[in-house]
Amino acid sequence: MTMPILPPEDLSNKAISARITTNAIKSIKNGLIKKKNLVYLELNGCSGNIISLLNGQNPDFEYTFKSMVDIQYSNSLMVAEGEKAIEKLMKALEGEYILAVEGAVALKNNGLYNIIGSWKGKPLTGLEAVKMLGEKASHILAVGACATHGGVSAAKPNPSESVGLNKVLPHKKIIMLPGCPVHPDWFLGTLAHLLLYGEPETDSLNRPLMFYSTLIHDRCPRRPFFDRGIFAEKLSDKTCLFKLGCRGPVTRTDCPTRQWNGHVNWPIGDDTPCIGCAQFGFPDAMAPFISFDTTRVVKNE
Amino acid sequence: MQNIEMLRWQLNSLVTQVRQDIYTLSTVPQQPIAPQILQRLWDTTSTIHFISELLANQALHCYQPIPVNSRMIPVNNSPSNSTQISPITPIPNQSNSQLNGRNFTIGELATFDGKNGRPAYVAVNSTVYDVTNNRAWAAATHFGLLAGKEYSQEFATCHAGQQSILATLPVVGRLVS
Ligand code: HEM
Ligand code: SF4
Repeated sequence: MTMPILPPEDLSNKAISARITTNAIKSIKNGLIKKKNLVYLELNGCSGNIISLLNGQNPDFEYTFKSMVDIQYSNSLMVAEGEKAIEKLMKALEGEYILAVEGAVALKNNGLYNIIGSWKGKPLTGLEAVKMLGEKASHILAVGACATHGGVSAAKPNPSESVGLNKVLPHKKIIMLPGCPVHPDWFLGTLAHLLLYGEPETDSLNRPLMFYSTLIHDRCPRRPFFDRGIFAEKLSDKTCLFKLGCRGPVTRTDCPTRQWNGHVNWPIGDDTPCIGCAQFGFPDAMAPFISFDTTRVVKNE
Repeated sequence: MQNIEMLRWQLNSLVTQVRQDIYTLSTVPQQPIAPQILQRLWDTTSTIHFISELLANQALHCYQPIPVNSRMIPVNNSPSNSTQISPITPIPNQSNSQLNGRNFTIGELATFDGKNGRPAYVAVNSTVYDVTNNRAWAAATHFGLLAGKEYSQEFATCHAGQQSILATLPVVGRLVS
């Protein structure tokens, strides 16, 4: 039996995702849902997303990887190395699995700019691996800015010719989890939803609505200052950060309510503008991250 | 001090308003009026938040008065600086009648780059628009574009079929060659 939720039902994203994850954990315990296999590929990126996942709570990272899924491959976490590790990756192909990918796909020189291991004495490129695993995966999660749209790896001048996952798997449905890095809840919550209910509802860009539905600007505690035209001139000001270059008005995430690092704070809460890390085209399209020359009036500039 | 009394009174009546709205929502949950009430709740809480921030700031700065209820904060209204055009605050339907007819050369347009307190203008199809306080143009930049330039091509490729965007922007003049 599930606990009744007394009115008024808490509809904050945090409460909703907490309900989803506790339900998922319960259903696994009762044998109602099966653990699924998970393959976590790291391609051309900085491993920032898997590090961000270590901040996860309810469920935490350890619980997720031990009790919710059977992790088949993760080059950062597994004990096996070299060809032994790639052997596990190849074995995973035989069964059903969810594929999570962080990092961009480097296309230059047929993928040679990103080699993730070697198989039968030959280098295995990220490009080959993701095509092979993507074709057979039951679900694909693109985790972080690089996997969703190229991100920092594809920033100008993009020497490795990096692209997002959808460019190499054009016919597959890919759940997009942009962010640099991804918030642990966005990944763990989406994974929990997959296990318990199947694919979450997404927007036209395939982002789960439960995390990416609302503009930061529409839920920003500093919005009243924006509406009155009262703008910060420097970083410590407590008013709207728009003139310093805030990208909250073009970025859709739940940062204002969810917050980061164990839900304690977020950029705008700490007086620094949103840099739009979860907007497609980040970082180039969101630059410059900070401008002090808009409000400051200097004579004889 | 009188000012603070007034803010306090305003806060209390706003809180009463919120309570009333929440009560109404709880009694008639599925009424078509719910979205309006929710909108009013949102606005009221925003105002409460704003006033409490204002009070806190005043307390911190030993009652340095900040103008209350100022729908428009003039940035530069000193006569010595009369060549400067005050940035437009984000209030819709503001009239720009004096400026509406102004002609800009591409060189003149370039000076409205949003820097140093100047307004930010962009031109699309020979019309010059004010994006100074448009939410999508923070710090006078937008997806890699800088204010003060002509962007007919970019608008056509990035916002095809979104003429409504232009219709909502304040017009400040025309681009002439
Ligand atoms: C490089 C080309 C461009 C790109 C990639 C681009 C991208 C975008 C995106 C993604 C949004 C939606 C933000 C959101 O609500 O989530 C937006 C909004 C907007 N864009 Fe652009 N844009 C481009 C060029 C332009 C140009 C040339 C103008 C000139 C007038 C313009 C004016 C606006 C305005 C005013 C909005 C806000 C619309 C609203 O209030 O709903 N954009 N743009
Ligand atoms: S700080 Fe940023 S997100 Fe918040 S109101 Fe200002 S522009 Fe919008």
